[in-house]
Amino acid sequence: MKALPLLAALALAAPAQAQFNLRDLNVNRLVETVKNVGKATREPTQEEEIALGRDVAARLVGAAPLVADARAQRYVNHVGRWLASQTERADLPWKFGVLEAPQINAFAVPGGTVFITRGLLEKMGSEAELAGVLGHEIAHVLRKHHLKAIQKGALASLSGDVAGAALTNVNSEARHKLVAFGTEMYSRGLDKGDELEADRLGVVIAARAGYDAYGLPSVLQTLQAMNAADSAVALMFKTHPAPGERLDQLGKKMQPTLDAYSDQAQLQQRFLAETKASR
Amino acid sequence: MKLLLAVLFLPLLAWAEPATTIRAAELKKEPAIDAETLIELPENTAVDAAERKGGWVRVKARGSEGWLKMLSLRYGNPASAKKGDTGISQMFNVARTGSSGTQVTTGVRGLDEKELANAQPNASELAKLDKFAADADGAARFAANGKLGAKTVDYPK
Repeated sequence: MKALPLLAALALAAPAQAQFNLRDLNVNRLVETVKNVGKATREPTQEEEIALGRDVAARLVGAAPLVADARAQRYVNHVGRWLASQTERADLPWKFGVLEAPQINAFAVPGGTVFITRGLLEKMGSEAELAGVLGHEIAHVLRKHHLKAIQKGALASLSGDVAGAALTNVNSEARHKLVAFGTEMYSRGLDKGDELEADRLGVVIAARAGYDAYGLPSVLQTLQAMNAADSAVALMFKTHPAPGERLDQLGKKMQPTLDAYSDQAQLQQRFLAETKASR
Repeated sequence: MKLLLAVLFLPLLAWAEPATTIRAAELKKEPAIDAETLIELPENTAVDAAERKGGWVRVKARGSEGWLKMLSLRYGNPASAKKGDTGISQMFNVARTGSSGTQVTTGVRGLDEKELANAQPNASELAKLDKFAADADGAARFAANGKLGAKTVDYPK
C-alpha cells in the first residue's frame, strides 16, 4: 500500500515493465525481473547512502529553512555529535539542524543528518530531553530505517537497472524521483516496529552519553498530553505510534536501563541558555 | 487581565499539571522504590503532578503528597478534553524567513505534508547546515564542559 504513490510517480521510469499484468507474464520476463530484483537489493555503499541523504536533506531545508539562530544550531550539533560518538557509526558526517517550523516533529535522514523542528524544541526543557529525541533519530540512521524503506519503495516499482541508476547517476530522472520519494516518506512514516526500536536505542544512546535516560520518556509524556487533533502534532501522530503506546513499550522493555541511568545529567540551565533565542 | 496573569505565572504554578494513574501505584514518601509507601492509588486516580526526579514525579493525590513512578502516570485529565489547537496555522500567516529572521507575510508556512510533497532543494540552506556541524573533538569538549561522561550501556536484546 505504501508503495502506491511511488508506483504512480515512477510509472514513467519503467514503461517496459509489465509485471502488473499477469497475462503478459512470460518466463523470460520473469527471469529478467528476478535478476533485476537481485541488482536492486544490492546494499547501497556508505558513500551512496550519504549522497542520497544529502539530496533528501537539501529538499527538507527547502521545505522549511534552518532557524536563524547560529548559537542554537551549534548547540544542537554539539549535543547530537556527542551522542553519535557513542555509537557504531561514529564516523558518519553527522549534521543536526533546527528547522523553522511550528509543527512538532523530527526527521532522520540517511547518512547522518537529523532535523528537529522549532515546535519540538519549544516543548523541551532540558538537554537530556533533547538528547533523548536526537538519540531516537540517530538510531534510525544507525539501523538504516529510512534507507531501507526507500529501497523497498524503489524495488516495488523500478526495475533493478533503473533503481541502480538512481543510486549511481545523481543527475538521472530516476534519481530525482527517488529523492522526491525519500522526502515524501516523512509524510508516510516508517513501520511501527522501527519507531519502537528507535525509542529503545535512543534511551541507550542518551544513557551512554551521560544523560538522564528519562529524557525521551519525558518528551513523550509531554506529547501524550497534547490533543492529537492539534495541527501542530497531526503529522507526527500520523507517522508514529501513539505516545502512550511508546511509553508503555519503553516501560515494558527498558525499565531496568531507564532506572539505572535516571540520576544522570539533565542540564536544564545549559539547554535554556543555549536555545533561548529560538524559544 | 486574569488570563495575562495566569500566563505570566504559569511556570510558578508547580502543581498545575493534572495527571492520571494508568495502573495501581504506590505513592512513596521519597523518590525511591524502597521508600515508605504512603498510600496505594488505584488505576485511574486523578493526581496533581509537579516536578520529575529521575523516574519519579512528585504528586498530590487524595490528600497525600509523595512520589509516583513516572511511567505509571499519563498527563492530561481524561475527564475533560485535552487542550485545543495551538492555532499555528493562523500564527504562521506571518512566517519568519530562515535566512534573515525578518518578518514577512508569505502565507501559511511550516513543515507538513504539502510542504514535503512540494519541497525543492535549497543549496544555500544546505551549506548553512554544513557550516554548523561539530566534529568529534569539539563535541567531546562540549560534553566535558557539561560534566558528561561516556558510559558503556548495551543495546537491549
